[in-house]
Amino acid sequence: MTRRSNSLAFARALVTTNLKATVALRGAFVMQVAFMALNNLTFFVFWWALMRHAIVIRGWRLGDVEVLFGIVAVAFGLTVTVAGGVRFLGRFIDEGDLDTLLTQPQSVLVHALGLRSQPSGIGDVLSGLMFIAWSGQVSWSMLPVVAAAIAASALVLLATGIVFFSLAFWLGRVETVARQLWELLITFALYPEPLFGGMLRLALFTVLPAGFVGYLPVRIVRAPSLINVALLATGAAAYLGFAVLVFDRGLRRYASGSRFSTFG
Amino acid sequence: MTAAFVAKYAACSRIAAAQARRERGEVYGRVAFFAVILGVFSSLWRAAADAGLPVAADPKALVWYLAATEWILLSVPPIHVDIQEAIRRGDVVYQLGRPMSYVIAELAAGLGLLAVRAPLLGATAFLCAFAFTGWIPPSSALATVVPFGLVAAALITALHLWIGLLAFWLQDVSPVYWVCQKLMFVLGGLMLPLDLYPDFIQRVAAVTPFPSVLAGPASFVLPAPIVTPGELARNLAIWCGVTAFAVWWVFRRAATALTINGG
Repeated sequence: MTRRSNSLAFARALVTTNLKATVALRGAFVMQVAFMALNNLTFFVFWWALMRHAIVIRGWRLGDVEVLFGIVAVAFGLTVTVAGGVRFLGRFIDEGDLDTLLTQPQSVLVHALGLRSQPSGIGDVLSGLMFIAWSGQVSWSMLPVVAAAIAASALVLLATGIVFFSLAFWLGRVETVARQLWELLITFALYPEPLFGGMLRLALFTVLPAGFVGYLPVRIVRAPSLINVALLATGAAAYLGFAVLVFDRGLRRYASGSRFSTFG
Repeated sequence: MTAAFVAKYAACSRIAAAQARRERGEVYGRVAFFAVILGVFSSLWRAAADAGLPVAADPKALVWYLAATEWILLSVPPIHVDIQEAIRRGDVVYQLGRPMSYVIAELAAGLGLLAVRAPLLGATAFLCAFAFTGWIPPSSALATVVPFGLVAAALITALHLWIGLLAFWLQDVSPVYWVCQKLMFVLGGLMLPLDLYPDFIQRVAAVTPFPSVLAGPASFVLPAPIVTPGELARNLAIWCGVTAFAVWWVFRRAATALTINGG
């Protein structure tokens, strides 16, 4: 219990330090945030133009797509801002950069995840919140549900990233492939659920859990139900547990890079 | 003189192509992404046709349209990243001293990479689009798309070169790249033919190079192309000229600044 609260306090301190360092370069920070928000808004122009002509696509309206975009964008933004190191985990493992973390008293995984905060993630969070607000589908009373759905989505995204990038423990240089797999997950999560059926839908709720990142949270926001909430919470906990297990197993195989350096 | 000029830049292309053949991870990733996107969109267009989208009267043609635009865009190598890194690390100074133009050498290397990626991604586009639609556009349409698509991809490579050179001033060119990519996305009609966008977007698109590099070549697979081959050839020639001038001007300014700063 004490160890867990220590880890949480350490993670909080790491995130705070990272954010301070990021915001210190104010010009670059503002630019990255603004451009990422613009990036997301531009991508949405496609849906806006499409759904001017086809108002309802398999039961989905523009507002539903906005909620989906909003949830995934905020979840992704939170993940890369709070645990930005996940995108570099493969490189840390392959290049022996975990050496300096192994000697620290804190959890190696927590430390590695907190190493690289991405300022552009704030842009994702802001644009995601704008999408959710514009959707007109979320009332004030629903905000706690939306927040919980986003948190679960972010956890699944983080867990999947840890699993994909941890493959480097066994396969070596997999950064490109792992990154592309992770981006594939996000790509799937950004399209309405009814577009996918059969085996593909099964895959999207298991090996490439776009269903837990986007579809299930949107279902909960559209029509809250205890079953879906329980399913999402269980899914998030299971994916996170699996990710920690994979990382711990991999860490036992980790070969030192004989690094003598400091991390910052 | 001319033969020697061509030979040294051809060597840059060959070296880059050889490297690309060895490091195939990223290209395979793009192949997988390509297949997924075409699968998603073939499903989306069928759904849109069911929902009454006017242009989706022929969803199969729209899947081939997307296959063509994505083929062009995904074939283009991200050379701006390497150029940016060379500038940030200062490596560019060593390359400037070589008996060849830095800009032409980088472009030649980019075209070498393009030569490796385009056939592989072209085959992926063809196979996936056929697999998802069970239909192939007329051979005359494909024969028009391929050469125009290759020229368009070369033009986008030059555009990436220009973006990379901006690192002399910006250090990190990612924001410029993102904006350019998104403009291409909307104004180029990457996923949706331009006639589905509102009038004001179509008017803005008309004064940019983006429709000429994506929607123009790809629209030959649609029942009603947005340009004739002659018009597209003229537009591409104009934008090639504009891009060449922009690259030359930016590099000239950068080289001058480097000299003033002492290199």
